[in-house]
Amino acid sequence: MFVPLAQSLVFGLLVGALYGLAAVGLSLVFGVTKFLNVAHGELLMLGGYASFWAFTLRGVDPFLTLPLTMVFLLVIGVVLYKLLFAHMVKLTEEAKIQNTLLVGFGLSLILQNVALRLWTADTRGITTSYSRMAFTFLGVRFPIVRVASLGIALIALFALDLFLRRTYTGKALRATVENWEAATLMGIDIQRVYLLSFVMGAALAGAAGCLVSVGYSIDPGMGMSWTLKGLIVMVLGGLGSFMGTFVGGIVLGVTESATGYFLTLTYREVVGLVLFILVLVFRPQGLFGTKER
Amino acid sequence: MGRKQVIFIALLIAILVLLPVVVKKDNIINLALLVLLYICLASSWNILGGYTGQTNLGHAAFFGLGALSTRFLWMSGWSLLPSVLAGGLLAVAFALLIGIPAFRLRGVYFAIGTLALAQILYITVGNVFSDISSLRPQDLATYQLVPRYYFFLVLALLITGTTYLLVNSKLGLGMMAVREEEEAAESLGVSALKHKLLALSISAFFAGLSGGAFAYYHVGYYPRFPFSPEWTFDSMMMVYIGGAGTIIGPIIGALFFVVVRELLALKLVELHLIVFGILFILVVLFLPGGFVEAWKKMQAAFARRSKERGVKVSFQTTDD
Amino acid sequence: MLKLSGINAAYKDLQVLWDVSIQVDEGELVALVGSNGAGKTTTLRVISGLLKPASGSISFQDHSLGKESAHRIVELGISQVPEGGKIFTGMSVLENLELGAFVARARKDKDQTLKWVYEIFPRLEERKNQRAGTLSGGERQMLAIGRALMSKPKLLLLDEPSFGLAPILVEQIFEMITEINRQGVTVLLVEQNVRAALELAHRAYVIENGRIVGQGTGEDLLSFESVRRAYLG
Ligand SMILES: Nc1ncnc2c1ncn2[C@@H]1O[C@H](COP(=O)(O)OP(=O)(O)OP(=O)(O)O)[C@@H](O)[C@H]1O
Ligand SMILES: [Mg+2]
Repeated sequence: MFVPLAQSLVFGLLVGALYGLAAVGLSLVFGVTKFLNVAHGELLMLGGYASFWAFTLRGVDPFLTLPLTMVFLLVIGVVLYKLLFAHMVKLTEEAKIQNTLLVGFGLSLILQNVALRLWTADTRGITTSYSRMAFTFLGVRFPIVRVASLGIALIALFALDLFLRRTYTGKALRATVENWEAATLMGIDIQRVYLLSFVMGAALAGAAGCLVSVGYSIDPGMGMSWTLKGLIVMVLGGLGSFMGTFVGGIVLGVTESATGYFLTLTYREVVGLVLFILVLVFRPQGLFGTKER
Repeated sequence: MGRKQVIFIALLIAILVLLPVVVKKDNIINLALLVLLYICLASSWNILGGYTGQTNLGHAAFFGLGALSTRFLWMSGWSLLPSVLAGGLLAVAFALLIGIPAFRLRGVYFAIGTLALAQILYITVGNVFSDISSLRPQDLATYQLVPRYYFFLVLALLITGTTYLLVNSKLGLGMMAVREEEEAAESLGVSALKHKLLALSISAFFAGLSGGAFAYYHVGYYPRFPFSPEWTFDSMMMVYIGGAGTIIGPIIGALFFVVVRELLALKLVELHLIVFGILFILVVLFLPGGFVEAWKKMQAAFARRSKERGVKVSFQTTDD
Repeated sequence: MLKLSGINAAYKDLQVLWDVSIQVDEGELVALVGSNGAGKTTTLRVISGLLKPASGSISFQDHSLGKESAHRIVELGISQVPEGGKIFTGMSVLENLELGAFVARARKDKDQTLKWVYEIFPRLEERKNQRAGTLSGGERQMLAIGRALMSKPKLLLLDEPSFGLAPILVEQIFEMITEINRQGVTVLLVEQNVRAALELAHRAYVIENGRIVGQGTGEDLLSFESVRRAYLG
């Protein structure tokens, strides 16, 4: 009884770290720009394929390609921002959320089908020489790839936190989250802050995608489910604290695996959505955090 | 409506009615039927999404519920029409159930909330009804496409006609006021919640009926198939590309969608979705009125040009 | 130093400013007074580039501001204390002040400016590590002004710094503003507290329904019958 349950919770925790990482990117972008980029999951998918092909064609270790994948997604982020999202900067907040949702939706459709064309619908994953290795503690298996992913997610999170707390640019970003107009009055170039946070979000998606492709599997259609996970976690964790968001990811992961354990595996996906709707309906103001005035 | 328009519409309906009589090819009729199906879906989405301004990303849930219950009732011996009607009503019941909490959510929260709800149904239905749903042998033996085609035709006319009456009524004006500015509408005594719920119910009812028609039409499918989010996304794109908040928009959008899909499907399977994705983004960014607006703009530009030319001509005559 | 001429400005279709012309010379303390909704805040928004005027021109020290973006205008030396302060409540007092010195021109002298601001508002130094959201109303206003000073402005725009403060605090804030002006910062002060503002200012403009309806020295305006009746009761 203990071991299977603990095992399932550990797996939940490990996958939850990736949910958290995906959500942190989404919520960083949303917090600063009020862009609801529902193509975030597709960016993650692109990151996954970048690592997959680097490994398959060139034999590069996925943990080595991680920074490259992030840079790759950063570039894609710049292109997408300039091409699409920059047009929506000046809209009112509500219109901005609405239109970015629609544009992001169109974008996800495009990326998903381009991926399908290029790489077929096959499910893929990276299998390295150490993929099957694991250490066991009290009978519970800890696959090292997934544990390493948790470590990397934590490092990325701390780096982000440090950046936001310690650097001038990071503070400018936080100021923009609180009140973009007041931030402008500080001489902060909002357009640049928006671009920066957008591409950082994309890079984080790339990192998450890379880790998903090593520890789990990727396919062209994975985007929507990851975007939904990101949204769920964002709502659970609230905006403002990325640590909170990350913890929200772990909560979702563990809840899913507990559901899988106690009910059936087929309802894992549903539980997060139900949670999401409950929070949406009963704490709408707590969503995505409200600012204190 | 002007006289020209009335004649045009009458002509169009006549063509649609006569189509199966003239064209005997099943694949053409089937294509026309698909256009009608998408007109139904898109037009019903348009009532809430286009006219009332509430982006519903869970439309497939209504379509799916209609299909699910119709199929169940019809196969268990009910006759067709009551089954389909029950499907529509079930969709309304569900819509009302979720509508009140969902409309506490403004703007985008409504959109993602409805998406989540539809996903819950999609997955759950897939889990509960995992076997393919096929028509009974006796239905299969007598299966005919033409009655299905007429069923969809009637439904499409019903939805379009209702939309027309609706938007020219006080209710419709209220819905559009809510879309334009909710606070302002409320301050004029228009209850936003009431209008949204009404629009949602009508929209859901028609989507449910369309689902029922789908259950009548489709030979064999997995019960979760009509719940798939693609139905929602496709409808939404058709509405936007054609022209949201117009009657003709979803019709043009649906026709365009099916035709382009057929043309491109010959070469590459998914290409049409890429094309639609791009078009959709362009419309959202640069042409919020879709094709309808583009057409109006072109007409206006044309009228201006010919006017200018007219001025020139008159100068020439005075010169002479 | 600052010159607005013939400014018309609108929010969407609603025109709010009509042919507004204002001039502020170097070293002056000029007040802009008027009742609620007269267009005072809008005037400041136009100056700091948050709202682009429909017509008219704005110049600041030979620069035309008409096309400059808001963040560039800060760089040029205009800093605004917005209505209500709009401090960053989730960040510490010190972080707020640091953000004030965001522009390159100010950032290099940040530590020195910080000392200066702490001299004017010693209270801020005592509270520097506190979250700005926990400050009292008066302290918030001080922080907002201090934050604006961190950009080493040549021209300081103040939007109702006395709003919502107890009379004794109002007096203190006004004293500090006079002090800041004496130290060489030109000030354009928007106030509803008309008497205090007019006593403080070298010159003043009166705005009503989006139009400048009077100007003169503070004393002149104080003695104007119409101003007395309208604002001083
Ligand atoms: N964002 C906005 N959108 C539309 N109208 C606005 C906006 N901001 C201000 N207004 C309108 O412009 C007019 C002038 O407003 P403004 O804020 O400049 O007045 P004010 O003189 O600062 O008033 P107060 O003393 O109350 O702060 C008012 O009628 C106001 O309703
Ligand atoms: Mg004001």
